[in-house]
Amino acid sequence: MGPSASLESDIRRVGTALFEAFPSHRGNPLKALDDRAMDLAAQDAELRAALFRFVDVVPACRSLDDLAAHLTSFLGEIDEQPPSLRAAMRMGDTKAGRAALGAAGAAGVRHMAHRFIVGEDPQAALPVLRRLWRDGIAASVDLLGEATVTAQEADRYAARCAGALETLAGAYAQMDAQPLLERDASGPLPRANLSVKVSALTPLLRPEAPARGQRDAAPRLRALLRQAKELGAHLHIDMESLDSREAVLELVLNLLAEPEFADGPSAGVVLQAYLRDSPQTLDTILASAQQTRRAQPLVVRLVKGAYWDHEVVEARQHGWSVPVFERKADCDANFEALTARLLEARPLLRVAIASHNLRSVAHAIARNELLGGAPGDVEFQVLRGLGDDLGQALAASGLRVRSYCPVGDLVAGMAYLVRRLLENTANESFLADQAQGVPVAQLLAAPEASLS
Amino acid sequence: MTTLAPFTNEPVLELRRASERTKLADGLRELRLPLQVPVWIGDEQRFGEEIVSTDPGRPERVVAVAARATPAEADAAVATARAAFGAWAATPVGERAAALLRAAAWMRERRASLAALAVRECAKPWTESDADVCEAIDFLEFYARGALELQDEESAAPAGAQLLQVPGERNALRYVPRGVCAVIAPWNFPLAIPTGMTAAALATGNTVVLKPAEQAPGCGLRVVEALRAGGVPPDAIALLPGEGEAGAALASNPDVATIAFTGSQPVGLELLRTAAQPKDDARQLTRVVAEMGGKNCIIVDSDADLDEAIPAIIDSAFHYAGQKCSAAARVLVHEALHDALVERLAGAVAGLQVGPADEFETDVPPVIEHEAQERVQHYAAIAAETGEIVTGGPEVPADGWYVAPVIATGLPPDSRLLREEIFGPLLTVEPVRDVDEAMERIDALPVALTGGLFSRNPRTVQRVIDRSPVGNLYINRATTGAMVGRQPFGGNRLSGTGTKAGGHDYLLHFVEPRVVTENTVRHGLVV
Repeated sequence: MGPSASLESDIRRVGTALFEAFPSHRGNPLKALDDRAMDLAAQDAELRAALFRFVDVVPACRSLDDLAAHLTSFLGEIDEQPPSLRAAMRMGDTKAGRAALGAAGAAGVRHMAHRFIVGEDPQAALPVLRRLWRDGIAASVDLLGEATVTAQEADRYAARCAGALETLAGAYAQMDAQPLLERDASGPLPRANLSVKVSALTPLLRPEAPARGQRDAAPRLRALLRQAKELGAHLHIDMESLDSREAVLELVLNLLAEPEFADGPSAGVVLQAYLRDSPQTLDTILASAQQTRRAQPLVVRLVKGAYWDHEVVEARQHGWSVPVFERKADCDANFEALTARLLEARPLLRVAIASHNLRSVAHAIARNELLGGAPGDVEFQVLRGLGDDLGQALAASGLRVRSYCPVGDLVAGMAYLVRRLLENTANESFLADQAQGVPVAQLLAAPEASLS
Repeated sequence: MTTLAPFTNEPVLELRRASERTKLADGLRELRLPLQVPVWIGDEQRFGEEIVSTDPGRPERVVAVAARATPAEADAAVATARAAFGAWAATPVGERAAALLRAAAWMRERRASLAALAVRECAKPWTESDADVCEAIDFLEFYARGALELQDEESAAPAGAQLLQVPGERNALRYVPRGVCAVIAPWNFPLAIPTGMTAAALATGNTVVLKPAEQAPGCGLRVVEALRAGGVPPDAIALLPGEGEAGAALASNPDVATIAFTGSQPVGLELLRTAAQPKDDARQLTRVVAEMGGKNCIIVDSDADLDEAIPAIIDSAFHYAGQKCSAAARVLVHEALHDALVERLAGAVAGLQVGPADEFETDVPPVIEHEAQERVQHYAAIAAETGEIVTGGPEVPADGWYVAPVIATGLPPDSRLLREEIFGPLLTVEPVRDVDEAMERIDALPVALTGGLFSRNPRTVQRVIDRSPVGNLYINRATTGAMVGRQPFGGNRLSGTGTKAGGHDYLLHFVEPRVVTENTVRHGLVV
């Protein structure tokens, strides 16, 4: 048996065990109902589009009447309406009916939002964060909000981030020890962890002029790094669309190279495996980490990437070559190749594998074992509301897990919600496959990359 | 029939990649200025120094030195084009199309250098200068294909040419060129628009006298060079750098069959008036294809997503300092969102960078000339006096024709600022009760070029589509950036003759239909 055959059998072994560790929802009718609604949306593209458009517009509706008008307007565009929708449309004919329909629609969206958003502000999120920690799951908090188009909005977001760091550091200090979550082979791991977006720290990100956004965001990000260092918290800088990648990555690597940050804080960047040139981006990250020896290794969160549709549409509209893999198997294969390179780059880096794909996760676990890493030497990240079952299964298997937890106004957080919903119901989603009972062996099959 | 790959837009450079930005910067470094621009009729060139185009961001930098065509030269150019018309019209459409495609290839090889010239001569920022070159290439490619569809006798007849046939007669309709076309072009799309109007005329078999804007003779020279390099005979395309006098001489020349014009409303209306009064010795009615100004409005309904609307409004109003006929001039916002929108727009404007066009970081370049600077400042002064200017305004370089971008609110309903085309970085915002009130105000305008709507309610969108008078309506996106073949562009009412550049029926304005009916019955037999 060659090394790759042995890796494959390891992947099947750990993947099957992980799958068996998934919690059952037989005892939770509410969760089962949510899942059914998601299934329904996944099966009918028109209904899905109508629901997404409704979720998206809820924050802007001024009254129940207005909500109902939008809802019936979206549903009216569905060609073959099931009886339940026809009934909803009839309710839209009277004022009382619209009030009831609007209230029901808003309540439905709010209910869904609660599943993804852990609290209106960091303080309100603490009960959920404490429960997660008790269950052996760390968190990274992400502050939702409107887009930043002015300097004042950038300042407000930076202030919210600063407040969140304070609140999180204070609250996590009170929690009980969780040895697995607090140390790996490279040393101690901060408990408090905040994810920030550069696009929210400056209104001046311009694809053709990256330096401009960098200059504007740098003081705000530098202040947050200083504060994180002071509080012993981790600051993670999220990656967004390719339009801002150069600006974000250069900014973060340059700031971290400043002498004052040599001994902290712990910080991280994101590598998006769906980008065809992500291996070169990893080269850049590795070269920087090599040159900038910091006390706490840079954390690289490996993700598939959340802007696939945007990247494809933008490229097609402009006549550019599509920067993302268009076959899921190619993306999955690249994810595994990057996983291997990242794990092998330790201790220069710390690695966080952020995927809901059972195969990708099992591959990382098996690869880590193969390289002689302890279970805690790689982190697994899941999204709150979507990857909860996987997170619990990973924690139950003695692995180090962090849940990415959006915090913010339920209403203003809707744009985030829509994207997460899209991901959950998209074709070729592992979560959808799993919900539909695809056999575990198939879920764990090696991705067959196309020849190129 | 010549078969060509289906039309696709020339891709703009992917300027989010540093390597692509370097290409453009290299193009600028290699640009040798000033250009010498002659009156160029057939193989005759007369150089001169009467017209000087300068960099609007550094007026002491000369970009091109041009001769100023006299009325006599305008007449000579028309006479030469008139003499060349028969041969060019008789050239098979496949050969004419091939010449345009070679001109497109010539431009494609010089993309960086052409974009750099537009940056210098018209202070058009990089992304937009690059797009301008691409659009010029698009017009050549698109109209070459369009002429083949329209005129190639072996191609399937276009819908309008399909006639009823009965036994004993043969009916045929074909589209023939009209004669000499005078192209009078603007400076704001200094390569794309002259190329587009000229290519439409040439592709269909007309000969052309091109008068570029006096602010952009250098770009005009490159357009004619491209076409001649592509194989358009010298007598079929003349370059006539000049000012109003040359344009007036072209307009009143009875041998000009078609005038293709893009520019200001007063000039366009004057051309239409002249053309509408044929002289006693006229042998042909002059047709005018005119694209004029607008007063473009964006409606923001209460359910709009401001996160998307604000960047789109900023782009529409302030990119290229608002110097596009499609640029947004007025925002009509639902009263519930008015204050929030104004506050966020003002904040966004405060962050705009005003600077030279050759810097990638620039959001708002200088306006084209001193006169334009004074005009916009004058309107801003009226706004300050009769309403409120809510933008502190970013810093503005002292040298060059810079104007601070401005947002004005609280203007009286009869304000000139809500009616007149300013053609600069000044945007007005006014509250409305609802979308219907916004539509009434828009309907009251005599111009109807572009319009925008931000709404997430499909019923509202449909209502606005049904009522909107504009030539190009954009829903939930910026109102600028029309693409050849995707958004055929042109205005209604006093904004234009309803012709759509970059659309399938544009070429019909450069031809006339001729119908031939042949009796195929001889002594009772169908032969």
